[in-house]
Amino acid sequence: MNPRIPSTLNPADVLTRVNRDVERSILRARNGIRYVRGTHRPALGMTPKEVVWKRDKAELWRYKGGDRRYGPPVVIVHSLVSRSYILDLRPGNSTVEYLTKAGLDVYMLDWGVPDELDADNDLERYVDSYLPRALDAARRTSGHEEVTLAGYCLGGVIAALYAAGHEDARVRNLILMATPVDYSEMGAMVALLREGRLDPDALIDETGNVPADALYSGFYMLAPTVEVAQKATLLENLWNDEFVEGFQAMATWSRDHVPFPGAAFRQLVDLLVRQNILMTGSMPLGGRIVDLADVRGNVLNAMAERDNVVPPPAVEPVMELVGDPARREELRLPGGHVTFGTGRSAFKHTMPKLTGWIIDHSDPA
Amino acid sequence: MPANQPLWLRAVIRLERAIGEPIESAVRSDTYFDLVSTTTRVRRKVTGTAEGVSRRALHLLNLPAGSDIRTMRQQLARMERRLNQLSHDVSELDESAVRSDEA
Repeated sequence: MNPRIPSTLNPADVLTRVNRDVERSILRARNGIRYVRGTHRPALGMTPKEVVWKRDKAELWRYKGGDRRYGPPVVIVHSLVSRSYILDLRPGNSTVEYLTKAGLDVYMLDWGVPDELDADNDLERYVDSYLPRALDAARRTSGHEEVTLAGYCLGGVIAALYAAGHEDARVRNLILMATPVDYSEMGAMVALLREGRLDPDALIDETGNVPADALYSGFYMLAPTVEVAQKATLLENLWNDEFVEGFQAMATWSRDHVPFPGAAFRQLVDLLVRQNILMTGSMPLGGRIVDLADVRGNVLNAMAERDNVVPPPAVEPVMELVGDPARREELRLPGGHVTFGTGRSAFKHTMPKLTGWIIDHSDPA
Repeated sequence: MPANQPLWLRAVIRLERAIGEPIESAVRSDTYFDLVSTTTRVRRKVTGTAEGVSRRALHLLNLPAGSDIRTMRQQLARMERRLNQLSHDVSELDESAVRSDEA
């Protein structure tokens, strides 16, 4: 073959490429119609589970299906602003499924969707009422005295305050995933709430909660034009069923926020954002002072290096504040805020590393 | 940027970044946050004034205003929360009584 003639001009190659492009065009048309019509949406949060405890909107789920080979159970405490299915997005791309298949006994504390009845839910309600009761249920159903408590984002703050503020916490391992403690480093996410700008009540609606739309706007404004590039990438990959499914799952989750209970939001703004109180190492809660250094178990501070929601500088001080210095470990992961739940990086780095750490700090059942 | 991306996609992504980066730095600036704060405050003030006027008008006709209904819903929600709390307390007392009987 003449080396100056590009191989693409080889008739067999041209035919193969034409065939491929025709096939892809057909698939693009089919998936495009499905996408626009909103049909064939992927099922989310599909790992089989049962509700083992419930109070108000809060539910504790225990995941089934795995051969439970290690203890204590892993109880995941989700954030107050988003839906917990990000950690169980799709079969084959789910942190919960990965942990379960590795032989861990996994529970998820889901806060539900707050409405008017939850407007008075303050941080005390989460730390001192819901979480201890949910953990009692996890201990009762698993038969273990201790738990591995894993908090994601604001769920990490709740988990840390619980583990530090309850002498009978029996938390063997505390895993903080993208958990902000230094709110002066939170940047645009909290800039509107700083002293002299918006009063928290300006964001609270007639239900007494911060509406989900307001929270979505906050996240959207971090990168308002990025959706254009995402949609273009979708168009290019529209022939690929798996890509479309993953795109739809993430798009659904990123728009699916839940209202933030008003009372907890006022505390968050006053104590965490304006006073940056966690950086003092302690926080007033329920008429007492909770000292973060009082966490008794092993502490794993996991952060995502390209997280633009909770940037690493907001998370790093955990290593100086939470628990016993000799029992603190840090885990830096490539990826963004959702690397704890989904994506290639999650599968390659986050899930194996988190699972490995938990198993190393657990006992065979 | 993956090498196998077609040219048009690379161009869109480059263009998006070219436009997006200045927008992102603008919406992360103090000026933007001050502007949003002021706009929100003004909007609330205007809404509050309009609500006050319509409330007075409706009350003159002995009709309830939206804010009255809102207050009533909040009071009902508070009452329901209190009832739920009492019901939880009673079930916990029952459960602890059963456990101590069993022990």
